[in-house]
Order: sequence, then structure tokens, then C-alpha cells
Amino acid sequence: MKKMFGLLAIVALCLAAKPVVAHHALQAEFDTAKRGEFTGTLTKFALINPHCRWFFEVKKADGTVAKWEITGAGPGALRANGMTRLFASGQTLKVTYAPARDGSNTGRVVTFTFPDGRTVTMYHEDPNNPNDL
Amino acid sequence: MRQKLVRFGIAVASAMAISLVTIHAAPQYDAAPAPAPQAAGAQQQNIPTPRTADGHPDLSGMWGGGGGGGGDKPDEKGNLTVVFKQRPCSQQQRDIGECAQAVNFERDSGVEQRAGANMPMYKAEYWERVQYLDRNGIQEDPAFHCKPAGVPRMGPPAKLVQTATELIMLYQQNNLFRIVPIDGRPHDPIKSQDTTWYGDAVGKWEGDTLVIDIVGFNDESWLGWPGWLHSNNMHVVEKYTRTGNTLTWQATVDDPDVLTQPFVMNPRTIRLNPNAKATFQEDLPCEERDAVHIVTHERG
Repeated sequence: MKKMFGLLAIVALCLAAKPVVAHHALQAEFDTAKRGEFTGTLTKFALINPHCRWFFEVKKADGTVAKWEITGAGPGALRANGMTRLFASGQTLKVTYAPARDGSNTGRVVTFTFPDGRTVTMYHEDPNNPNDL
Repeated sequence: MRQKLVRFGIAVASAMAISLVTIHAAPQYDAAPAPAPQAAGAQQQNIPTPRTADGHPDLSGMWGGGGGGGGDKPDEKGNLTVVFKQRPCSQQQRDIGECAQAVNFERDSGVEQRAGANMPMYKAEYWERVQYLDRNGIQEDPAFHCKPAGVPRMGPPAKLVQTATELIMLYQQNNLFRIVPIDGRPHDPIKSQDTTWYGDAVGKWEGDTLVIDIVGFNDESWLGWPGWLHSNNMHVVEKYTRTGNTLTWQATVDDPDVLTQPFVMNPRTIRLNPNAKATFQEDLPCEERDAVHIVTHERG
């Protein structure tokens, strides 16, 4: 647990890191006023520039499987702190996200919830800031 | 003419700024450098400048970095919340509708990128093109699509290794290096005709400043985020001056094909990394996956 605690601290650093090159406004791609949610199987965690990516398979009510791509922040601090192995293929995660404006199965992560109930929330607005949404 | 150009620049900046409300992180390549805190900066500059055996300032070292730290921490249950605590609009602004654009337009670094007072002055026939590139940066900006930023947009290197005849420049971004002869030789007639992202560079000492002359560019890279194009006849002069444990980098772009006057870029002063054990990290490949999903022209 202690180890996990440390890991999460490091994830925090990674997620706060800012992508450098292809930086763009979230609002141009995602509707940050809306939220979507699914529980799916992580098929791949991609540690790439300019944004980390999480790929999921999500079983739908009709039994078919939908593929989802979730984006986050840059990989810099995550790597610098030895936290690149926190997310692993095969994990079942609940994902809350800001949906893509183009209606595709993509989103900007707000929260990952692990099976043991831990949550990793990563977003650009401060819920405790009265000036935020 | 000059006045007209200035007015054009201001008009572009203003027009673009209208839809931009927030400033998040500015891309490293284009951002104006954060000035070093005055007192600490002065302290760093008062240290004697190290010199090599031949008497020139020794530019070797890791430059920049060393800051940071802190950040969000998980709570006692191991739950972690990471947020960016920047927000341009007050509730009042939102209530009266002034913040409505924030949802649809960028709330990002665009203001910083476009509103700087120091910008290249383009010939009139390029105004439309520059505006087009700026407006369509999501599709047009080579750096957005993971291509090199090129000289001089890439800024100063993160590490320098100086020998009597060469300056080896290492960049953390894209695992990139440049090796520049500093023995005073002229440009190679063949290499200087090449069309590349970093150009053919030769350096020489002018007093305590290393002056690097660069030609042989392609016309694909940009000078900066707001669609600042250049021709393949661009000529860049980079100057490196070490004062104590600070390094000042300054670049001037001369491109008579497209500019009415040289673009003298703002100098950037960076500090020697105080961590003697600091090392480079392999930079991971860049994969652009957002452009197809972005529904506005604005990118931040």
C-alpha cells in the first residue's frame, strides 16, 4: 500500500506535466462541460508524446465490444518518477471522461477508478475553485 | 509602411486574442522565457565565468531545468486528484455570458503566442498566408504534427559540450543534437545549399560571445506558433553568451524573401542546472492523434 501511495504521488507529477509540442486546447476537441462513463478492459497504455493514451475494450449491452481511446497529459513526469507501470493491460477500470465533440469513441480522462475503489482523477479544472465549472 | 505593418500585427494579435481566454502551459519552443528571479539570477551571474584552456568562456553544462517539484499528492486512502488550477473566467463573467466562448474556443496559450510585441514583419504579400497558417495551425503547424521545430523555434539546447573546435548541442526534445564547428571556418558550399530543419551552422568567437551563422534551411519549419513562415533563403545568427552560471541565447532571423526587416528574437537567459547528477531521458516518439478530432480552428 505504501508503495502504491508513492506510485500515485508520482502519477500526480506525470499528469501535471504539460505536453510540449502538439499542445492544444482541450475545448477544441472535447466537451469539457459534459461527462461520459464506462467500465472497460485496458488493452494498451501508450506512453507517447504529446499525450498519454489509454485504449479500452468496452462490452456493450448487446454483447458487442466497443473500442475506446482516452487521452491524458504528457508522459514526462510519469516516467521521471518511475510510474510508467501503474497502468497495465488487462486491468478493469471505470473511466469518467469529457467526451469528444465529434462523437467518436474518444475522451479526455477525468477519473480512473481501480477495482479496489481507488480513484485517480486528472483534470484541468479545480472542483474546489468557485470560479471553475 | 512600417506603421502599416505594426498595425497589421496588432490587428492580427487582437483579432486572434478575442476568442482566447485562458493561458495554460505555453509550448516550450515558442513561449517567452520566464525571467529568472532577479536576486537569484544576479547571484548566478556574479559567479566568475568558467573558461577553457584557450581562454574562451566554457559553455559546457546542463542548462535550464532544476526547478519544479511539488505537485498533487494522493490522500490517505490512496486516491489522487490532479487538476490544473488555472481558470480565466470568474463566475460573474460566466453569469453575464462573457465566458461563453471558453467552451468553444481555446483557453490556452494562444494569447501568449500571438500577442507578443516582438513579431516578424512580413511583406504584404505574405500577410494572408501567415493568417491562414495561424488560423489553420491544427493542420498546418509542422510542430503540431510532430515534425521538428527547427532552428530557431527550438530555442536554446539543454546541454552543451564545448571542445576547442566544436560545440555539441544536445536537446532533450526529440533526442536531438547539433554539432557546430567553432573554429572560424566558412560555410561548406555544398552543405549550405542543402534544405534542412537545423541548417548548416558555423561558429566563431566575437569577444566572449559565440556567434553561430546558419544557412541551408528548408521552408517547412516555422519561426513561431502564429503561422510564422520563412523561406529557404533564411539566414539565422544565434548568439551564446555565458555570464557566471547563466547562459543567454539570442537569435536573429534575416529573410529578405518574406520579411521587411530582420526579426530580432527576444533573448532567453537560462541557468546552469544546479544538479550535477542531472541526466537526459530518452524522449519518446511523438504521435499526433488529436487533429482529426478537433472540431474548431483553435488549438491553444
